[in-house]
Amino acid sequence: MEESYKRAGLALPRRTLLKGAGAAGLSTALGAPFINRLYAMEAHPLAGKKIDMNILGIAGWLPSSLGVKMSPLFADYVKQRYGYDVTFGFAEAPFSDLFQKAATSLATKSQEYNIIISDSQWLGALAKPGWILKLNDIIAKNKGLQLDWYSQTVIDTYMAYPDGTKDVWGLPQEGDTKALYVRKDLVQDPKEQAAFMAKYNMKLPSTFEDYENLNADDYEKVMEFFTRPEKGLWGAAWQYSRVYDFCTCPLFSAMWSSGGEIWDAKTGQIEGVLNTDANAAVMERYKSWLKYMPPGATNYGIAEEIDVFTQGKVATCLQWAAVGLAMINAENKDKVMVVPPPKFGKGAEAKRIYCMGGQPWVINAFNDDAKMRVAIDFMNWWYLPETAKEYAKRGGNPCDKATLSSSEFDDVNPWNRAYKFMLEPGRSRDFWHDPKYSEMLSLQQEGFTSFMTGQSKSARGVLDYIACGQQQILYDAGTAKKEPSGVCGNVSL
Amino acid sequence: MTAVSGSPRSSRLRRTRVAQALDNRGTLIATLLVPVLIFFVLFNTIPTLWLLGLSFYNYSLTSGSPPSFVGFRNFIQIFNNRNNIWADLSRTFTFVVFGVGIQTVLGLALGFLFWGSKEMPGRRVALTMLFTPMVLTPVATGTFFRFIYDPDFGVLNVILHGLFSTRPINFLSEPGTAFWAVLAVDCWMWTPFMILMALAALGSVPKAELEAAEVDRLPWRKRLTLVIWHHGKFILMLGILLRTIDSFKTLDLIIPLTKGGPGQETRLVAMEVNKQAFESFNMGWSSAYSVLLLLISIAMTSVFIFILNLRRRRGA
Repeated sequence: MEESYKRAGLALPRRTLLKGAGAAGLSTALGAPFINRLYAMEAHPLAGKKIDMNILGIAGWLPSSLGVKMSPLFADYVKQRYGYDVTFGFAEAPFSDLFQKAATSLATKSQEYNIIISDSQWLGALAKPGWILKLNDIIAKNKGLQLDWYSQTVIDTYMAYPDGTKDVWGLPQEGDTKALYVRKDLVQDPKEQAAFMAKYNMKLPSTFEDYENLNADDYEKVMEFFTRPEKGLWGAAWQYSRVYDFCTCPLFSAMWSSGGEIWDAKTGQIEGVLNTDANAAVMERYKSWLKYMPPGATNYGIAEEIDVFTQGKVATCLQWAAVGLAMINAENKDKVMVVPPPKFGKGAEAKRIYCMGGQPWVINAFNDDAKMRVAIDFMNWWYLPETAKEYAKRGGNPCDKATLSSSEFDDVNPWNRAYKFMLEPGRSRDFWHDPKYSEMLSLQQEGFTSFMTGQSKSARGVLDYIACGQQQILYDAGTAKKEPSGVCGNVSL
Repeated sequence: MTAVSGSPRSSRLRRTRVAQALDNRGTLIATLLVPVLIFFVLFNTIPTLWLLGLSFYNYSLTSGSPPSFVGFRNFIQIFNNRNNIWADLSRTFTFVVFGVGIQTVLGLALGFLFWGSKEMPGRRVALTMLFTPMVLTPVATGTFFRFIYDPDFGVLNVILHGLFSTRPINFLSEPGTAFWAVLAVDCWMWTPFMILMALAALGSVPKAELEAAEVDRLPWRKRLTLVIWHHGKFILMLGILLRTIDSFKTLDLIIPLTKGGPGQETRLVAMEVNKQAFESFNMGWSSAYSVLLLLISIAMTSVFIFILNLRRRRGA
């Protein structure tokens, strides 16, 4: 036996060699992924450590919860790529209380919330006291954060403060615009179309393109046509509630689209800009639309609109694109289309400028080094193309040009086309990134809802009251150069 | 042999010294008061002084600037009716007067009903049910009353429509109804407290005096004024005082119901303080407003104590 393998020029018996080769092959095959991972893993200061992070987000707001639900994907990603473990806790508060929750924590320099989903208008209030991290240097050092955004509107809304500067404080978490949710089963019903034609001598708008060209006068006909209280159907649902910015957003949209302004951002001047007869006329028109809405529409906010629309009580609904998943459910998914909201004005003069929604990520400036590093890793991961696609697939609205320009994006969700349309430059804008945002909004909501509910009878009087109050707030804060005029001493709601 | 520290003898000696010290009335009083005083100073006096100090500053948490001394500017702005606060005060006084008034009348009526009917079947169950609203959290109460008042699916509108064929009423959004709708919820919630106080007041009336009044065939009105009111007034007035102060601070019921709306129709003073302090973060201005409200509360308490002591003063 020994002779035979020696004769063959082998140092070991053939069988032993074969066994050895087999074992080596098997161990290579089994170990290959591990070895690959070892080679793929990048040197990271947190490798081998375990970090607990907390995100503060908006309660009951789907895009916020999506960011959190996707965090285990990030945990897997960093474990594989950087070799550290991370867990996420989630704290939340409703829109109207989130700033209060964040501010009271950040004012004590706490790192209770490491990453915060802020509302876009709070950038100033969070940035000015130095509570959140300025991101310019971070972006400069991280190629993954140097993205091409879909439009300047994204930068103006979610990233820059003060307005018009290149100082970056936030990165878009959820892009959001207003969109009109329309009952397709109604507007595409041939009987309804014929009846509409007979009544108004015009085609009932029934496609995306029809609504793209629709102005408020003709939209009013659509609302009137479908207002049938005896059948439990009304023409529309728009927001009028006193809570947070619910009444403000559609009303500012109507003012901007009608050629009005709300302030001069450069000088902080509000008196004389907001309180004009033209803006008062817009308020009166907006109030008159209540007759096309179900009883109690003065209480309508986001949730109430979702209720009436999904219950089939309204034919059209002005709502945020971000709540598409709630507006379009298993029962009505074949009956709904999402289109651009109407323009205001006539012909070539008609304008469509609606309020921006959506939220940026902001990073707590008081995070320790480890948490700061995880937060930056998280941002880098969030803007990876595959993360952005996964986010869109789950119902979120990314903001980067690459994702939004991809051929499949329009068809991922029913509202994507309208969202993208409204994100085009000039079609949506945000209001006041001023630190006094909350105070100005609160005053304004009181005034607007006072008029909408009939407590105050004069739209112009209400606008005077709001403009004087806001001018005083900005003057006291040093933002406005002029103090309120003498007329303001006599205005009240 | 000297006593070693820590030995049973030394600890006995220490205990004896402590006991002797406590025998001294002054030491005992001081020992009992010190913990309470420390608590009071830490959690009451210092914050109140801090509040008073802050009321002379312009300090916004979100401005990124340190507080700046402005003297009486915040108070002057309040007296110049900044943010319509005189309207808030007037509305709050209306809320307190009507709310506490209705609760007192209903509380007394129901208190008399249950006082004189100890054999009433189901009395215990009825009392338990009556007291339930008082133990609910105002936020929960506000939330479910918001649903009850809802013009779309609220049960109140369904009942009214069934009985009187009324159109849906938007109780919380109509300027004519919102204030009274909120007041009704406050009465629903706090009338039980006044029933409790009425029962306590009636329970403090000596039985012998009531029997004597009955033997003397004293008319009901005189029994009420000379016997029942004479003995029960302190507890009843205490109940009214507590409700007045509490009603003056109403906030957590209004937030879920109306947020102070429509317009400013249900905006009470506590709403504005909360908004200025924790929404707008104007700590200086809200402190000044709080100082003013504190003074009003002290004034109201003084009035109640004055009324309670009126007869004694006259007697003196």
